[in-house]
Amino acid sequence: MSFLYPLFLAGIAAVSLPIILHMIRRQTRKRVTFSSLMFLRTTVPRFKNRSRLENVLLLILRCIILCLLAFAFSRPFFPRENGDKQVAPARRIVLLIDTSASMRRTGMWAQAISEAESVLKDAKPTDRLCVKRFDQGTETLIGFEQWESMESGRRTDVAVEQLSDLSPGWASTDLGGALVSAAEAIEEDEVNDEQQKFGTHQIVLISDLQKGSSLEALQAFEWPEALELDVKLITAAGSTNAALQLIASRDHLARTAGDELPSVRITNSPDAAVERFSLSWAGEDSEETSDRKTEVYVPAGHSVVVRAPQRTDSSTPGKLVLTGDDHDFDNALYIAPSLTHKVNILFMGSDKADDSEGMLYYVQHAFRPTGMLDPGIISRSVENLTDEDVTTAHLIIAADTIAPGQIDSVRRYLEAGRTVLFVMKSSDSIKTVAALTGIETINSQEAEVDTYAMLNRIEYKHPLLAAFSEPRFGDFTKIHFWEYRKINIDDLPGAEVLIWFDSNDPTLFELHVAKGSLLVLTSGWHPSDSQLALSSKFVPLLYSILEYSGIFANRQPQYFVGDNIPISPSTGLESPNLEINKPDNTVVPVEVGEESFTQTDLPGIYTIKSPAGDHIFALNIPAKECRTEVMPIEDLEMLGVSHVQHSGVSAELADSSIGSRSIQMSRLRSFTELESEQQIWRLILIVLLAVSFIEIALAGWLTRPPSNLQGE
Amino acid sequence: MTDKAAQSSSKVTTNRAEGLIDPISLMKIKSMELRAKVIVEGFWKGIHRSPYHGFSVEFTEYRQYSLGDDPRYIDWRLYARSDRYYIKKFEDETNLRCHLLIDHSRSMGYGSGSYSKSQYAGTLAATLAYFLYTQGDAVGLATFDDQIRQYMFPRNRPGYLRRLMVALEAAPEGNSTKLGPPLQHIGEMLTKKGLIILISDLLTSIDRLEPELGYLCTGGHDLVVFHILDPAELNFDFESPALFQDMETQRNMYVDPSDAQISYRRMLQKHLARTETICRNLGIDYHLFATDRPFDLALLDFLQDRMRHRKRIRHRSRPKTRRTI
Repeated sequence: MSFLYPLFLAGIAAVSLPIILHMIRRQTRKRVTFSSLMFLRTTVPRFKNRSRLENVLLLILRCIILCLLAFAFSRPFFPRENGDKQVAPARRIVLLIDTSASMRRTGMWAQAISEAESVLKDAKPTDRLCVKRFDQGTETLIGFEQWESMESGRRTDVAVEQLSDLSPGWASTDLGGALVSAAEAIEEDEVNDEQQKFGTHQIVLISDLQKGSSLEALQAFEWPEALELDVKLITAAGSTNAALQLIASRDHLARTAGDELPSVRITNSPDAAVERFSLSWAGEDSEETSDRKTEVYVPAGHSVVVRAPQRTDSSTPGKLVLTGDDHDFDNALYIAPSLTHKVNILFMGSDKADDSEGMLYYVQHAFRPTGMLDPGIISRSVENLTDEDVTTAHLIIAADTIAPGQIDSVRRYLEAGRTVLFVMKSSDSIKTVAALTGIETINSQEAEVDTYAMLNRIEYKHPLLAAFSEPRFGDFTKIHFWEYRKINIDDLPGAEVLIWFDSNDPTLFELHVAKGSLLVLTSGWHPSDSQLALSSKFVPLLYSILEYSGIFANRQPQYFVGDNIPISPSTGLESPNLEINKPDNTVVPVEVGEESFTQTDLPGIYTIKSPAGDHIFALNIPAKECRTEVMPIEDLEMLGVSHVQHSGVSAELADSSIGSRSIQMSRLRSFTELESEQQIWRLILIVLLAVSFIEIALAGWLTRPPSNLQGE
Repeated sequence: MTDKAAQSSSKVTTNRAEGLIDPISLMKIKSMELRAKVIVEGFWKGIHRSPYHGFSVEFTEYRQYSLGDDPRYIDWRLYARSDRYYIKKFEDETNLRCHLLIDHSRSMGYGSGSYSKSQYAGTLAATLAYFLYTQGDAVGLATFDDQIRQYMFPRNRPGYLRRLMVALEAAPEGNSTKLGPPLQHIGEMLTKKGLIILISDLLTSIDRLEPELGYLCTGGHDLVVFHILDPAELNFDFESPALFQDMETQRNMYVDPSDAQISYRRMLQKHLARTETICRNLGIDYHLFATDRPFDLALLDFLQDRMRHRKRIRHRSRPKTRRTI
């Protein structure tokens, strides 16, 4: 027999205590008051034979109770012999290895691999194993079936060999998704293989359990009752970790692009020992340039926003480097230069540019050049409109009925996935809508407005109006409309009304024409129709329409590792000669028809090369991946994960002693499993209770008060 | 004397002589005066039925009436019985001043029955006081433990007996037993000769007892000692071992009665014998009383003592016959 906690057996020494008390007990409890002791002498106490026998029996019972208690606490179990294959129940284990960016810290990956190898070597021939790696997604390296199909003697070697090819990436950590994936894999394997009975279902998680891990997937998942989670916590050697994060520029309205210095947030870990860091630009060869350094003081657990130091050439992509902490995996921030988007806005109408009673006047004033935007307003009357004007426009604002000869051109524009804003100046304009949509049975008439109409319902969930969802921006009631065109929306199947008048007539609705979007405004913004052009909502509404048209898609300079980069036809990137240069200088061709680029696995500067020109964007590590402090196990338990065992292994011990510790720990784990199966301590407890009852009954019977002479 | 002590000790079992009042029943009478009255009157009645045959009523306290004697002191009962006039001698001739010294130390609070030694001693004192008072003697009272706690000058006045009884009813608080200082104090206080009746358990060192009792004898007083002990103190017939606690010193001692009884009795008898010897040497009338002994017998012993005492006095005062050569 062996003991899980043999030190508790030292409690048996406490048995000597009642024996000692029994031997030295001399005093009787009976007291007699007497007038004088002058004729008395102390007598040596004697025990009658009958009394001694009863006391010894009580003594023996009490000693047995103490011995049983010490025995139970020591958790005894019968170890199995190595050659006994029939005793050990099989286990179904999923080995989850964290390969997120935070595992790139010094010494952690070596320790993680060592732990994984230890788990693999501890696997018994009857166990079924599955090996998965995870970061923001989960990938199966070796499935249950694959494991079972291999010879039992080769399984570990094959798995270890696969692990040697594994390395941490740069992505964030979706721990919740990984655990759910592992649990589902066990359930699926259990369903597929019902013949063999498994004693234990277990997930062995090898991870740093950083606080930045996503656990959302666990919130909607019911953790299987018998599934155990064994967490092998990998801890880093140093406690100081500072991270960089780019703050969105506020100077986008600056006249000259490239003028602004980026602002960055530097976040220091809560248990940091260092609080002073340096910020500087790295050159193309990643060496520090002669550019100015910025010294930054960031207290532990806090973050500070600072301006990046000056650069010699701020129009090129740059790499901002932070130095001074213990881990450099998140110390680089890649910054792509902001681009100015040249935008052609085609205004179709007969309004004069300087006519304040027309709509063009207000459109020109709304679209002004900014640091991001270089808009060009092309005004064409319906007679002067050419196909080239249409095809080169990024957005068409039609303020007049479109001539039948131009309907096809505009329809093709829409079918290419573009956006047209059509303003109904009169009820006759409905013909244009009918022609563009092919719905002939639409009618419209001038609404009868009593004094003025107001906007009532706003669909803030629509991307076009999401910017107005905040209460301080969402009040449209101050905009008065004198005239508008009334349309029965039921006549337009597929139409989505985005804004309603208080008379329940549509103000703005959207119709999809193939891949494009036709936005119809039933009232103009010029003074004769409404106050819209004079309200504070007008300019943001126009910009929102411009953004909704997709003009800024793939024009962002900054993304995160793992993001899908959209390749929008609006920028001409659908050319078959499209290629993307990655930071490791590999070139990835983009297939025709691909709508997004997914090989965003490295942080750095990417370049999209197309005949229309190069487009540069930067990829960085997600900010939450830089939160490296350890998550408490209770966070998992609060989400329903039960039977969590936890053991921490420091990366400082990533040396030759790891092997022997791993063996000891694996032996301890096997003993723990064996003891938890046998649970001999329960039987001991039952015996202990029975002996206690006997002792209580016997003591009560023996201590009945005998008949004595009264001494007083 | 040793034999007498042995006789006393053997006598002191819970016996009830025929015609004598059981102390247990008597102690249920709450009023001390009534209790004493019952004892004394019962004693007088029982005198004629006394089992002690040969005991003469005509003891020295009576003398035949002669012309000129005060007829107030004629004992009319005796006349009724004998048809002769007799004068109670002590009525007209003794004018006794009697002091009752009651030990109120803590050890007197011990009692194995329904009453303590102190209560028995109080009743005994009340009985003697009632008896003497009704005989016309002046009776005083002093209670003591390690010092005199209460003192009442001997008087024989109307209402004084009631005050005596009230004083005797008071419960003792008592400290330790130290006979010397209070007895010495009383010896100094008593300027006129008289009768001193000491009622105590005398649980004090035997070496100090003789000089302490000697204080009282130096003044020429007649001394009677009633040595009061509880039957449990005399026999020590406890059964089971226990932690015995001294009432005065609060000291504890583990004692197994089966082992200690023999030695206890031996030591006690030795103490009693020496006490009696000391008293005899000092001319003190000594009576050992167990608290289960009827009070009538105490009164009888007291009267017998007085008889013997009077005989000694008459013998000493008789003129000597000259012898003719």
